[in-house]
Amino acid sequence: MLLERQALAQEIPAAAGLETRELCELFAALGFPVDGVARREGTEVLDVDITANRGDAMSHRGLAREVAAKLRQPLTPIPALPTPEGPAVVEVRLDSPACPIYSTAVLELGSGATPQQVQAFLLALEATPKRLPAVDASNELLHRYGHPTHAFDADRIQGAVSIRWAKAGETLVTLDGVTRTLTSQDLVIADAGGAIALAGVMGGDGTKVTESTRRVLLESAWFDPKTVRATARRHSLHTDASHRFGRGADPAMARVARDLLVGRLQAWCGAKLLGAWTVGGLPPVGAPVTLTESLLSRIAGEPMPLPDAAEALRRLGCEVAVEGDRLVAQAPRWRHDLAIPEDLAEEVLRLKGYEGISSVLPPLEGPPEPLSAAYLQRQRLSRRLAHLGFHQTVTYGFISPEMDAAFVDPANPAEGRTLANPLGQEYSVMRGSLLPSLRAAAEQNLRQGGREVRLFELAPTHASGPQGPVERFMLGVVWGGTLGGDDYLSPARGVREADLSGIARTLGWSGTPTVRVLGEGLFGFELPVADLPQAGDRIIPSFRPFSRFPAVERDLSLLVDLACSHEVLHRAMAAALPAECLQDLRCVDVFRHKSLPEGRQAWLMRMRFQADRTLVGDEVDGWVAAALAAAESLGARLRA
Amino acid sequence: MDHLLPAEIVAAANAFPQALAACGDLDALLRLKGAYVGREGSHAAGLMDLLKAAPKEQKRDLGAAINGLKQQWEEGLKARQVELEDAKKRLAALATGWDPTLPPPVPAQGALHPLNRLMDRLVDVFRPLGFHVEEGPEVETEAHNFDGLNIPEDHPAKASSDTFYLAAHPELLLRTHTSPVQVRTLLRVAPELATRGGIRFLAPGRVYRKDEIDPTHSPMFHQVEGMLVGRGIGMQHLKGTLEYALRALFGPHTEIRLRPSYFPFVEPGCEVDVSCPLCAAKGCRVCKGSGWVEILGAGLIHPNVLAYAGIDPAEWSGWAFGMGVERMAMMLSQTPDLRLFFENDQRFLKVMGGLD
Repeated sequence: MLLERQALAQEIPAAAGLETRELCELFAALGFPVDGVARREGTEVLDVDITANRGDAMSHRGLAREVAAKLRQPLTPIPALPTPEGPAVVEVRLDSPACPIYSTAVLELGSGATPQQVQAFLLALEATPKRLPAVDASNELLHRYGHPTHAFDADRIQGAVSIRWAKAGETLVTLDGVTRTLTSQDLVIADAGGAIALAGVMGGDGTKVTESTRRVLLESAWFDPKTVRATARRHSLHTDASHRFGRGADPAMARVARDLLVGRLQAWCGAKLLGAWTVGGLPPVGAPVTLTESLLSRIAGEPMPLPDAAEALRRLGCEVAVEGDRLVAQAPRWRHDLAIPEDLAEEVLRLKGYEGISSVLPPLEGPPEPLSAAYLQRQRLSRRLAHLGFHQTVTYGFISPEMDAAFVDPANPAEGRTLANPLGQEYSVMRGSLLPSLRAAAEQNLRQGGREVRLFELAPTHASGPQGPVERFMLGVVWGGTLGGDDYLSPARGVREADLSGIARTLGWSGTPTVRVLGEGLFGFELPVADLPQAGDRIIPSFRPFSRFPAVERDLSLLVDLACSHEVLHRAMAAALPAECLQDLRCVDVFRHKSLPEGRQAWLMRMRFQADRTLVGDEVDGWVAAALAAAESLGARLRA
Repeated sequence: MDHLLPAEIVAAANAFPQALAACGDLDALLRLKGAYVGREGSHAAGLMDLLKAAPKEQKRDLGAAINGLKQQWEEGLKARQVELEDAKKRLAALATGWDPTLPPPVPAQGALHPLNRLMDRLVDVFRPLGFHVEEGPEVETEAHNFDGLNIPEDHPAKASSDTFYLAAHPELLLRTHTSPVQVRTLLRVAPELATRGGIRFLAPGRVYRKDEIDPTHSPMFHQVEGMLVGRGIGMQHLKGTLEYALRALFGPHTEIRLRPSYFPFVEPGCEVDVSCPLCAAKGCRVCKGSGWVEILGAGLIHPNVLAYAGIDPAEWSGWAFGMGVERMAMMLSQTPDLRLFFENDQRFLKVMGGLD
């Protein structure tokens, strides 16, 4: 909300003596931080941030009340001369409980314009003066006192005025020129011809005050906040009036604002009062709230004497009675946010100043809980992958249906995971796989000149289910580009599928993961985090004995048929060897060359034996021969 | 002092650097050493004899000149010896196919994402106070995301202009904050609260709001929520905990400031400022010269939130806070554009994420 300094000082003279910086600090300490200070129209304007619960503070008067309470300084009385009321000039009926009070007046306008200083005030607040006294006066009152009012062109109103629920489908052209189709939950001001204003939100175009308006009907009412909020939201029509009525205006201001409006029109353009009257009455006040000394002291963190608390609440306009160990407070009509004891405690503390709150570490009541295994597992996985050269990514949880379809399980239809109101089609499906996002990030890195890209993400994916999307934490890994070649040890080569399987194994995945080809030289896999090994219950695994006798290594250089897979050969050789002594069997070198017989390649298979005794050469020779025989049975032969 | 020295010494001194460079191996160097600083028959030995024989009034100046020369020679010889020894080692290494002058190969190094790194850090900070981590799903019910948090039925945040809803399940939405984890956790622990004596936890996670993507907005971002429930908990405990945590995070001289504010799920509510960690509260661009930076929102848990979970607000009380991880990361790193955190450029991740 924009606050003009001189207008504030008119409400609370003590504010005039404050430096801008002091005033900003004062507002911040009261819970109204100042977002900016500007100079406009020769005056200083503060942009004050007002929280949604404090509709009462959305005016110069409202903030002045806060300053007055904090500084214990008096407010200037509102200069309203009560307008003598008489019989109604136009029939006004209240046909809905959402409008309990409606103060009005009919005036014949004379000649005269909006005073310069009022125009300057409005300009300083970034409001455009219309140079129509009835409109400008209403606007000025809203900013000054926070009570929205409205002026109708009385000669355009047909018959009696009724404040009623709209008929479903009824239309109204609002002041902004938009035709609104109303619902039966919209409250309207209506005449014999239909709706002429959206109550508490915006006036109608057909009855607006123009330069040719001779007579005005003034409206100064109070509308139910919930009704106004719903209408403003339904029609996406958020106005100065709807903000204030929607957050709760002061019903007692209905008559006062009417009186002020009448006074201004009389003064500014010699308007002649044809009649003023009020329909309905003040709505009942909220129930009083009881605050005990013990609750107050618990919240404040120190003993708080009730008389001091009562005094603070009185400064805010509450009527307070202290009864033993508790106080009972009746909130003023402008405060709609003081409903429970905690609200009162907050007000006492707020006026005292949060800076006075002490600083105490809460005692530990029970034993702390350990971090969950699932959380720790993800922490370990991400650290492990980072140490393996992978970069953790964070990508959006929603993607386009096309991206999603590329990798998702066909049993996981996108319909159950689709958003009703996405930002756009490209962000419309809660993804069933991490790979599309990782692929996009990897491709972007390679396009940007990255020679090698290694990325991973740990995030939930979603599967459509009858009760809604089911979340599953996945690990996605992508690797692509050129591997090695950036130092003198490893020659450059493209990343291969097998490199990814190796990563999955390193992470404890048993077996070969499904490695997907994501692009040229770009591969990825995705695994459910829950299926990766977790740290066991034991801090250290059980001891497994190991041999202290020397190990023996033997190599077999085999010419193998290209059709023979490593897995088959490995299995056959291992089966021929004594399992209790075979420590390791692996292919350590591969040789392919035109000098080799057609259709063959050479594999150097290394065997490592160890036992609880010194192995004898003959014995090992026998094993190696058995392994060779097994290989030969698959068509392999010893390379000369 | 050269005029005090015999001409042949001056010549030898002038020839020294060249002679040193000419030594191709350690043997040659040893011979040169003998000639210049050897015990007998060397230039140095000759100079000592000269000094002994010199007239008393010249001894001081001559002595200084001789010492200077000797020191120069000895240092030169030593440095050359190191060079020659290194060369010998290198030749030996080269014979095995390895050149030790090459820079060492460094294993590929990845990185954690800066947002995760910051969240991990926050967990580390709160761990010693007995906080553990609670998590919840990203697809939530309206009840957990709004109703259980004392957010009124007609609150604007519920509008489809602010919150993403699921098409096939109108009651489901993408959580707009990590606060539904509060609701879930409180509901779960409510029956055992008395036996446990209370609960304290952090809830880090991803949240969604319907904001267009621009340098300061993202439809997905991260929050860390903190909550403590116990007996007799007041504002002083909130302040004490946050002061401890923010000092652990930003340094022991950090000051914090509570300002009244409003969130439906707390009462009283507050914003918490921290003395600017970038300029030590002297005033800079980040704190806009004020010395303070807004860091999180907090307050005492609203009794309706406790009651919703089946916890008696007359017996139990507590506090909660919530902070935006991206905002804090941007502030600390002065990253100018929020989108960088979601682009996942390895150059950004390497520098910003690193690995502790």
